[in-house]
Amino acid sequence: MNEKQKYIMLDLGGTPLTPWCRFKRVVKRTFRIELFIGLWVTIREMFKTLFMGKSHTTKYPFEKMPIPPRYRAIHDMLRLLESGHYRCIGCGLCEKICISNCIAMETRYDENQRKEVSEYTINFGRCIFCGYCAEVCPELAIVHGARYETASEQRASFSLFEDMLTPIDRLKEQEEFAGYGAPTPWADKNIKKTPLAY
Amino acid sequence: MMAQKQEMNQNITITIDGKSCVGKKGNTILEIARANDIYIPTMCYISKVKPIASCRICVVQIEGVEGTVLACQERAVDGANVIITSETLYKHRQNIMKLFSVNHPLECGVCDKSGECDLQNKTLEFDVAAQNFSAKESDKKVEDWGFISYDPSLCIVCERCVRVCNEIVGESILEVAVGGYNSRIINTDLDNDCSNCGECMAVCPVGALTNSEFKYSSNAWELERIPATCAHCSSGCALYYESKPLSIANREKSIYRVTNPFEFNSLCGAGRFAYNFANQDVSKDTAAFKRAIEAFKVAKSIRLSANITNEEALILQKLKEKYGYKLICDEARSYQKFLSAYSSVSGKSLYNGDLTAIKDSDAIIVFGTRINDDNPMVKYHISMASKWHRARVAYLHPIEDASMAKIITQFIKYEVGSEEGVAALLVDALLSNIELSDEVKEFLDSLDIGNLSAESNVGEEELEKLAASFEKKSRRSLIVGADLYGHPRAIEIAKLLALFEKYGEFNVILVPPATNALGVSLICNLDDEDTEEQSIGYNIKGDFTLGSQGEVDLDMPALNQQEGTLTTIDKRVVATHVALPFGGYTLNDIANALGLEAEYTIDYTKELPKKGGYKAVEFDALTQELSSLEDDRGYLLDVKNVKSSEAFEEIEDLPTYDGGVVYWCNEGLHFTQNTLHKYSQSRYLKGSQQFAAAMKISDGEELFFENDTRQYVRIFKLDASMKGTIAITASVAEPLEASGLKNYRYTLMKLQEDGVIK
Repeated sequence: MNEKQKYIMLDLGGTPLTPWCRFKRVVKRTFRIELFIGLWVTIREMFKTLFMGKSHTTKYPFEKMPIPPRYRAIHDMLRLLESGHYRCIGCGLCEKICISNCIAMETRYDENQRKEVSEYTINFGRCIFCGYCAEVCPELAIVHGARYETASEQRASFSLFEDMLTPIDRLKEQEEFAGYGAPTPWADKNIKKTPLAY
Repeated sequence: MMAQKQEMNQNITITIDGKSCVGKKGNTILEIARANDIYIPTMCYISKVKPIASCRICVVQIEGVEGTVLACQERAVDGANVIITSETLYKHRQNIMKLFSVNHPLECGVCDKSGECDLQNKTLEFDVAAQNFSAKESDKKVEDWGFISYDPSLCIVCERCVRVCNEIVGESILEVAVGGYNSRIINTDLDNDCSNCGECMAVCPVGALTNSEFKYSSNAWELERIPATCAHCSSGCALYYESKPLSIANREKSIYRVTNPFEFNSLCGAGRFAYNFANQDVSKDTAAFKRAIEAFKVAKSIRLSANITNEEALILQKLKEKYGYKLICDEARSYQKFLSAYSSVSGKSLYNGDLTAIKDSDAIIVFGTRINDDNPMVKYHISMASKWHRARVAYLHPIEDASMAKIITQFIKYEVGSEEGVAALLVDALLSNIELSDEVKEFLDSLDIGNLSAESNVGEEELEKLAASFEKKSRRSLIVGADLYGHPRAIEIAKLLALFEKYGEFNVILVPPATNALGVSLICNLDDEDTEEQSIGYNIKGDFTLGSQGEVDLDMPALNQQEGTLTTIDKRVVATHVALPFGGYTLNDIANALGLEAEYTIDYTKELPKKGGYKAVEFDALTQELSSLEDDRGYLLDVKNVKSSEAFEEIEDLPTYDGGVVYWCNEGLHFTQNTLHKYSQSRYLKGSQQFAAAMKISDGEELFFENDTRQYVRIFKLDASMKGTIAITASVAEPLEASGLKNYRYTLMKLQEDGVIK
C-alpha cells in the first residue's frame, strides 16, 4: 500500500503532423491483425449462442439474477413452519421503528386470548427499504423478500398483510431469512441457560 | 397541636451521596431525596399512599448504622449521612430485579404495559442479562374482574393495588394471598363487583392488571396524550385522554383509554371508563346555525345544564346582559342561593374547605348527601382521613349507604324533610361549648331540642356520642351535599351550617351538585322563574336545543372536544383541552353572530368575573400537569370578605313525609348525561320490601309518576338490601336531562286508585 505508484510511459509515437503521415497511420491501424481477432471472437460467440445455446445475457424479465440474502426488497411475512400460523405477534416495534412512517397495524384481543393482528399494511410509496423493521422484529416475522420490482401504475402502492404473508399452500417452500435481524450462525453460543434448581 | 405543627416544619439536613439535602422533619429519606432531585430506584413505592415497603429495592446505607434501611419508610434523622450508590447496593438491587423476573413471561411483545412498564425499565436499568434464580411455575389463569383483567403470572405482588383499594378508595376488596413465590392478589368481591374505579389497574407497575376493553388494541407509545379535566362530577380530576386514529382505513381520532397522573391523584370509574361521550361526525350545518340565530333572536330565556365550561357560562351571561334573556339553571341556581346564604353568615364569599382538608381531617361530618354517588372523590378523601388519621366519620342521611359502611364510624339517620332541625341540632351539639355571638346564643337557647330530636328522629344520645367523639379532634370537616340545596328551608340551613366555619373552625365543603355548578353559580346571574315563552336549551331540553347528545337542533361540542376552564370543588380554576376534534359550530360562533366579539372561546378566560373570585389569567398561562401531591393546576379562586349578619329565623315545624318517598340520586357512577353511554342506566326505581308493600307494587312493575316539573316512567326494582320507605331513582336517565334538581331531592309518592302512582 505504501509502495510508490508506478507510472508506465507508453510509446505512442509522435503526433502525425502532415496529411501524408496521417494517411499512413490510418492504413497501418486498419490492417493490423487485432481487428480480425476481434471479428473472430464476435463470430465465435454468435455461433455459440445461435447453434450451441451458450449465452451470457440474462433474459430479463424472463430470467432473473439470484439476489444475495441481505438484499432488501419488498417485505415478506413469514409463518411458523410447524403450525402454519403467522409469526407476527403484533408487538408494533416495526411500526415504531419505521423512519418513513409507512407501517400501520391494528391489533385486538381475540377469542383465544391472544393478540391478533387484524390489519397490517406497508405503504411502499414511502418505504425506503432501510430494513429496520426486519432487524427489530423479535419473531423474524417481517423480513425482506426477493421481489424487487416496485414499479406500479399508481404513485403509491400499498400492501396488506395477506399480500405479504407466505401462502399457506406454499409453506414448505418458505425459506428462513438470512438477512438483517436473522440470528448469527454462532447465536447458540450466546445463550445462557437458566439454572433449574428445583 | 401548635407545637407539633412547628416541629413538623422544622428543617433538617442530611447528606445523600455527599450532597447536602434539606428536608422537613418527619420526611422519609426517599422524600428528601426526591425533593432534592436525587434518584433512588423504587418499585412498590407510590407517593399517594403510605410506604408499602414490599420490594426492598430502595435500600440505602446510613453511615454508622449496620445493615441497610429502606429509604421509603425510614424517617430521616438530622445530620445522617446516607449512601445510595455502592457496589453492594447495586448487586442487591440487581438481585431483587432478578427475583422479580423469575418466570416472568417473556411476552413484552404483546403486553399492554410494554413501553411504560416499571419492570421492563428496571431490568434494563440494572442490566439483568442472565437469571440465576429459579422457581417452579404453577398454572396461573387470567382472571376477569369486569372492566379489569388480572394476570397472576405477570404480577410481582408489589401490593400497590391492595393499598390503593384500601387507603384511597376505601373498599378494601383486594387482598394479598401470601404464599411465597405463589403469592397473588385476590379480589374478594368478584360477585358483587366493586365500584369499578380502576385505581388498582392505574397503579399497577406491570401488566398484571389491565383494562379489559383496551387490551391489545394499542401500544402505549402510539397514543397521543391530552391533558384534560374530567367532565363528570365537580371534583374536576386531572386526567389524560389517550387517542389515536380509529383504524388504518378510518383516520378519525378516537379515545382509546383514560389515564391519570396516578402517583398524585385518583379517578373514579366514571372518569376512567366513561370517556366516549364526544359528539363526533358533526359538520358545519349552516341551515341549523341560521335557525339557531333566529331562535336566539326570538327567545326569552336560556336554559342550561351546569355541564359547561366557565367560558360558555360567561358567554351566556354576556348574552343575557345584551339581550335580557332569563338564565335558568336548575342545577346551579339552588346551589347559588345556598352559597350566598352561607356567605351572608360566614362573611366569606366561598366555603373554606377543600379535598386536601378532608384528607387531613380527624373528624368528619357528612350531611345531606349520598356522597359516594354524588362525588366519589370526596369519599376517597374521607377514606384517606379514616385510614391515615383514624378519622371519626359521622354520616347523617335518611338512607343507609352500604358503599360507605367500611369508613363511617357513626351513622345518624334522620327523617326526610327534617334537615333544618338536624342542622340546628348539630350546631347545638357541636358548637354550644365555644365562644359564640349573642345572636347565635339566643337562637340556640330558643331551640326546643327535645322536640327537634323527636321530630327528626335524631336521638339526643346519638348527638352526645357525636359531640363526645368530636371533642378532642382538631382538624374537623363538614361535608354538605345536594339534599340541602333544594330544601324548602335551604337558606336557613345554609346560615346554620355557616356557623361551623365561622365559629367551629371546621373545614366546610359545599359539594357542588354538578360538573361546573360552582362556576356557573359564580359567573351567571341566574333567574328563578322560567318564562312560558320561547326558550333556548343548552345541553338540556328547550324549544330550540343546543347540545352534545341526544336529539338536538344544533350540535355542540362535548366537554372533551373543547378547551376551556372548569371550577372545581376545591375552588380551583382548571383547564381542559381538546381531546377529539369537533367539526360543527360552537357557542362562541353563535355569540359572535349575535354581536359578541371573540376569536376563540378561551379569549373569555381572562374576562371571567373578578366579583366571583376569578383572576385575569390567560388560558394558556394555566398549568395543567400535576406536579406534586397537592393539586396545583390552574389557580385558586380569590375568597372575598362579604358583609355578614346573623339573623336566624325560627325553625319551622318540620315537615313529615308519610308514605313512599322517592330519592333522586344518580347511583353508580352517573353524574350527567355523559356517563349514560358507558354504564347502563335503566329507568329503575329501587326500593325495599317495605316500600313495595306500602305502595302495593311488585318487582318489575312499570310506574308512572310526576315530580313538579315533568312525568317519569320507571321500572320498580326490589332491593333486598334496602330498608325503609325511601326508594332511589336516577334523575338522569336520558340525554338532555339535568343531573341536579331545582327542588328537594325527596318527593312524596301517592298511590292512585287505579294503581298508577302519582
